[in-house]
Amino acid sequence: MAQLDIIGVTKAFGPVKVLHGIDIAVADGEFLVLVGPSGCGKSTLLRMIAGLESVTGGELKIGGAVVNDLPPRGRDIAMVFQDYALYPHKSVRDNIGFGLRMRNIATDDIARRVDDAAKILQITHLLDRKPGQLSGGQRQRVAMGRAIVRDPKVFLFDEPLSNLDAQLRAEMRVEIKKLHQRFRNTVVYVTHDQVEAMTLADRIAVMKGGHVEQLGTPDEIYNHPRTTFVAGFTGSPPMNFAPCTIGEDGGSIILDGGATLAVPKARQAQLQAARGKRMTFGIRPEHITISAEDGNSLQAEVILTEPLGSDTLGLLKIGQTEMTGRFAPDAGLKPGATRAVTLAMSKFHLFDPETGVSLQ
Amino acid sequence: MARLSPLEASERRLGYLMLAPAVILLLVTALYPIAALIRESFSHNVLTEPWMAKPWVGLDNFAKAMGDPRFWEASANTLLYVIVTVPGAVAMGLGLALLANQPFRIKWPVRLGLLLPWALPLVFAGLIFRWFFEFQQGLVNNALLFVGLSPVNWLTRETPAFIAICIAIIWKTSSFAALVLLAGLQTIPKSLYEAAEVDGASKWRQFLEITLPMLMPAIFVALIFRTITAIQTFDIPKAMTDGGPGKSNETLAMYIHSTTIDALDFGYGSTLAVLMFVLSAVLTSFYLRHTRRDPSGGRH
Repeated sequence: MAQLDIIGVTKAFGPVKVLHGIDIAVADGEFLVLVGPSGCGKSTLLRMIAGLESVTGGELKIGGAVVNDLPPRGRDIAMVFQDYALYPHKSVRDNIGFGLRMRNIATDDIARRVDDAAKILQITHLLDRKPGQLSGGQRQRVAMGRAIVRDPKVFLFDEPLSNLDAQLRAEMRVEIKKLHQRFRNTVVYVTHDQVEAMTLADRIAVMKGGHVEQLGTPDEIYNHPRTTFVAGFTGSPPMNFAPCTIGEDGGSIILDGGATLAVPKARQAQLQAARGKRMTFGIRPEHITISAEDGNSLQAEVILTEPLGSDTLGLLKIGQTEMTGRFAPDAGLKPGATRAVTLAMSKFHLFDPETGVSLQ
Repeated sequence: MARLSPLEASERRLGYLMLAPAVILLLVTALYPIAALIRESFSHNVLTEPWMAKPWVGLDNFAKAMGDPRFWEASANTLLYVIVTVPGAVAMGLGLALLANQPFRIKWPVRLGLLLPWALPLVFAGLIFRWFFEFQQGLVNNALLFVGLSPVNWLTRETPAFIAICIAIIWKTSSFAALVLLAGLQTIPKSLYEAAEVDGASKWRQFLEITLPMLMPAIFVALIFRTITAIQTFDIPKAMTDGGPGKSNETLAMYIHSTTIDALDFGYGSTLAVLMFVLSAVLTSFYLRHTRRDPSGGRH
């Protein structure tokens, strides 16, 4: 186990710059998730940490030592690949023990450690099979076994669950979390799935276009997104956005289309600098509630509903803006009906419509 | 077997109908000549003895072959060519394939270099190498002189001639092996090498632990093809030394050629050809037994 420091790291493929100076310090034992859409550079960054891609600029340190020019085998890292990368001609036992054998560990020591890893991952009964005889979930476990048996300084995961079906993915997610809680290894985990990011991470780095858009705990990322991109990337369904104008009095927000929202006292200070300005209003689906008609409620037309069992998503038209709300299944939403809804005004977000940056 | 419904029966008829052209072509071009050859091998058919007609002689020709020292020598020579040039060409081909699989910036010169020996006619390759190994003006002897060694009488002495012919055959045939192996190399996922790299394997260990075992099916294909053609070795020794000096490097195919074309003994020539066919079948069945194993444990 070790600390991992990513200091001003850049990457260019010829004239194309794909990473523009990344700075992240991953603490010893921390679980860091790199999340972002395709092409944001998250996998490239992971491969640079692994040593599979060269570092164009900046420094990578593992346990305090610069590893920029070390080959992967000199970095003492383990990696779980998206396609598992199991050796098809070797048995599960030999796949898991391969890294130890390459490091000239004694045979009986290898056998003991492979058995231990297999026990932890519950694949002891599969040890003599070949990868071709395993299911996707079992292969995933073998790939993890190959990583944990080495007890490396840093674990790297490259979208390890993306080839599994939804149920298995949820199971393996729990499994990975348990393993981390048990061993407290330093982990860097790449995914495009924000649910994985939220559930697994100690900290999340949301990446976009070769930059880190925001680095923070899942709570910070979810509840205090610094940009519209981060706000829109987390949560399922994502945050609702609506163009608005801040009232001249600094105590209200006027959504385009006429609805006026009163801002509670506690948050009015935040609005003072933006009085009279155009802004983007953001609110999460769970902060819209069905309410009795009163001075604070808005009229919303129900356009469609998506029952999820545990709750029901409703696409609403409030003034000119469409917003999705998350409601109790017994809220009685009917498409075409008009209902009174209340927005939890202690929870709203405001963003600059041009830069997308949150109004702090 | 259950009776077929009318629909299934008509589908099956259509299936046979569509297969018919291919089956007929196969019968005419492959099976008929083989059948004719086997029939011929049981007959006495010498074109210079037309008054003998073509009588059925049973196993006489086969008995003659068993007591024919020239047949045994030619068979031994052929086996020797198989033993030397098959592993030689596949090993050389593996080297070339590994080279061609490197990420070159400009790929076409490498691919061209790989294809050129394959595209050359065999006799042409034989003639080029005859010139290379020529005593007076040959490139090889000139090179030997240049480094201070004495020239070798390559083509007129038994063992040097065998070596020279083997070099020519390996040069000519390794490119085909390389193409088969290159195709095999390209099916190995890059992530396996990355995983091995992370696991701490050096390049050499990666070759031994990943490339070689995963290339085994392709290596077997290359070995089978190369073995079949090595058993038929003819053009290159014919062009370089005509099986010489004397008959010391004569192969089975050359003996068959001289029996049928020079001596016009079609009956005995056919017998020798059938025996060569048996030799091919025995050698290749050895490989096929090995290729049936699936290294990844099946089910993909």
